[in-house]
Amino acid sequence: MNKKDKQAATPAETMAFLHSTLPFHDLDQESLHRLALRTLIDFYPADTIISHQDETEITHLHIIQKGAVKLFLTDRDGGVSLQDFRGEGEYFGALPIIQGTRANLTVKTEEDTFCLLIPREDFEQLLASEPAVTRFFLHSLSEKMVKTAYSELSRNRISPRGDGAMVLFNALSDSIMTEPEIIDASDSVIKAAQTMAERGIGSILVRLDHGRINGIITDKDLRTRVVARGLAYNTPIAEVMTSPLTTIAPTATCFDALIKMMRQGVHHLAVADGEEISGVITTHDIMVLQGTSPLYILREIMAQKEISGLYPLAQRAPEMIRAMLDDGARADNITRLITVLNDHILERLLTLLEEEMGPPPGRYCWLLMGSEGRREQTFKTDQDNGIIYEDGLEKEDIGYFKKFAETAIEHLVACGYPRCPGEIMASNPKWCRPLSDWKRYFNNWISNPEPREVLNSTIFFDFRAGFGDLSLAEELRDSLAHQTERKDIFLLHIARDCLESRPPLSFFRNFLVEKNGEHKNRLDLKTRGMVPFVDFARLYSLKHAVTETNTITRLGRLGAGGHIAQALIEETVEAYEFIMHLRLIHQLDLLNRGQEPDNYINPAFLSDLEKQTLKEAFAVITRLQNHIRLDYQMAEG
Amino acid sequence: MFFLKKKSALNCEDPGVADKRTFYRLDLDRPFADFDFVVFDTELTGLKPKKDEIISIGAVRIKKMRIAAADTFHQYAVPDRNIPTAGTMVHRITPDELKNARPITRVLPEFVRFCGRSILVGHFIGLDMSFVNRALKKHFHCRLHNPCLDTMVMARLYQEKCREGFHDRFDLRVSYNLQDLSHQFSLPIFAAHDALEDAMQTAYLFLYLVRKLEQSGYTTLKDIHRARGSLPVR
Repeated sequence: MNKKDKQAATPAETMAFLHSTLPFHDLDQESLHRLALRTLIDFYPADTIISHQDETEITHLHIIQKGAVKLFLTDRDGGVSLQDFRGEGEYFGALPIIQGTRANLTVKTEEDTFCLLIPREDFEQLLASEPAVTRFFLHSLSEKMVKTAYSELSRNRISPRGDGAMVLFNALSDSIMTEPEIIDASDSVIKAAQTMAERGIGSILVRLDHGRINGIITDKDLRTRVVARGLAYNTPIAEVMTSPLTTIAPTATCFDALIKMMRQGVHHLAVADGEEISGVITTHDIMVLQGTSPLYILREIMAQKEISGLYPLAQRAPEMIRAMLDDGARADNITRLITVLNDHILERLLTLLEEEMGPPPGRYCWLLMGSEGRREQTFKTDQDNGIIYEDGLEKEDIGYFKKFAETAIEHLVACGYPRCPGEIMASNPKWCRPLSDWKRYFNNWISNPEPREVLNSTIFFDFRAGFGDLSLAEELRDSLAHQTERKDIFLLHIARDCLESRPPLSFFRNFLVEKNGEHKNRLDLKTRGMVPFVDFARLYSLKHAVTETNTITRLGRLGAGGHIAQALIEETVEAYEFIMHLRLIHQLDLLNRGQEPDNYINPAFLSDLEKQTLKEAFAVITRLQNHIRLDYQMAEG
Repeated sequence: MFFLKKKSALNCEDPGVADKRTFYRLDLDRPFADFDFVVFDTELTGLKPKKDEIISIGAVRIKKMRIAAADTFHQYAVPDRNIPTAGTMVHRITPDELKNARPITRVLPEFVRFCGRSILVGHFIGLDMSFVNRALKKHFHCRLHNPCLDTMVMARLYQEKCREGFHDRFDLRVSYNLQDLSHQFSLPIFAAHDALEDAMQTAYLFLYLVRKLEQSGYTTLKDIHRARGSLPVR
């Protein structure tokens, strides 16, 4: 067989089809070819059940070549609900392969359906070796539809922004469109190049001789069709432009635009309402839009050269979270992501500030406390921070940190992080201290516990290093870790504090709501629902020298270390996640309506399933408190 | 000479080649998924078996009723006498493709080995088989003994089944052309540039018909074989 014959026998149609699908669009020719070689084709007549939930072993990723399928979820009570509808170019069966489980849903063909089948091993290998594919699936799945309660929550609450709510499904006309720049076909390519350079743009629309705009010249055209071919710079644009234009209606969604670009292999589309060209949309625009993708925002943050450039970026958390919630992400993942975002903002901000003020006179570490320290931030979390600097600095050097902290706090406020009402901030001289002072603070709280002091100090025990010389924070953590273990009186105070707040359920398991005041008939999810979990995890972490600060990680360590029964840990984590999730969605809903996020929900607006799940979550609090009671009654003798 | 012989000779005792006896014990009562199929299509210089020749063969393998997208066969053959010109060409071979063509004596053995013990499938397969076997006989004194299935016959069977109970049972206006059937059944449509694409299109049609006929109670080769007799002569 000669080379040509081999080429002819390659599945060109299969490759072309795979290339046109979203998950595999970014693969290079070689990988596509390898994938196509392993692909099988199957046909399922309408109404065939391809996989049964919890039964079918998934051996292939299915990509629909022609036809459509419906996905059904059977819940614990045997109720069946339609979860999704997938059509040509879409896939199913990815999640069970990624998670290593059996079919997570029942898949039934709606029409006669032809599918391309990619063997499980090949798909797994692709996930391991192709970051673009991994990103695509992780982003689009992130535990999508695994839990009915979660998906129900998302469906009910975030619909005001439209189905799916992803910005990708906004019409082009309301989201992104660059004002078109226009040039005549008879102009020279050098003029086109100059205009692009002046305006900082990558393409210009071309007006043809008869006056109609129906061509485009891009910076790529200049490279490949002019420079690479050695054409003269006075060559008329008409000779190198692309014409006719590929157009799209302004009512189309960004997603449609993306699909069209992919299908036609172009990077620019003219937005045309009839004959009227109103703008240009590029792949770059869509990338920016997908900028709700966390990775993109992080890149933007790190690229900022001015502190003020960080302000708007910090405000983008809500849209990012909305997209993630739509994708079914769990609360724990979301809060961690917000934390990563905030950490990046902080890192960039303090780096730029150091550049502005000159290098610091000694080692220091920016400490994060409270929910920031626990990596559990949601929207607009108050600042809780401090500075540790090395011992033995001169007075004027300390002045640097004072000014540094004050300026940093101002910038953080401008980024949208409100001041701490209790003044627990690095700008407060009390919390901008040398290492030895910090050690003394903690020593005091532990050794001479006063109930009030303990109450006010708990958030300090959740500290972690935010920026700077991390070893300072580590040293503080180490000095602390083994001190708390044996301090029974201190732990007892914390334990008592844990029992202060009763779970908000009545004897008949109805929700206990605020009886009066501003939040009458509403439930304080934070104080009543979340704080007990946080307190529980903190108490036992201090007792067993667990140095983590994140509540879920702490719980995991406590379970793994055999300090608390695994079964209790599991239900605790589930309950805590559910309440966090509920709070996130509530806050996002308020933000969507232009209100300030708070922690008060009205149980009357919850669905039955949500009410039930929330009651079960609160019941876990009672179990946690009983656990503490048991432990410390024994300790008290 | 030795080299050439080794490469092109087709020995009927070759273990890769199925002889008549291979298929004696074929159990026609087993489900389709138990068999391997090769769906193939040829391109010819014309339609007269005595005068015209094969200029290309394309084939696709189906195992467990799934098409293996990459397990395909596609070769061009140099015609002995009829160099196709615009006038004589039935099919769509460009001069460029002809440059890759090899003698039919090289192409045939590879094709026979590709077929192995599979059941052969084609659209109006009788025509393709007669050309292949004529060439095999001429050059190698042997023929393919593999059982054949005709997607055109299966399509007629399926359509008859669909129209059962209707007054006008045998609609003679229906086209049984491969492209027309593919459109009619809403299959993914291939470009139909060459024998491989036609074979692929036929393979899709075959998958479709097997599943559809299964739903009508034709679950084995025997069922189809039997029902074939009931079709009216056209």
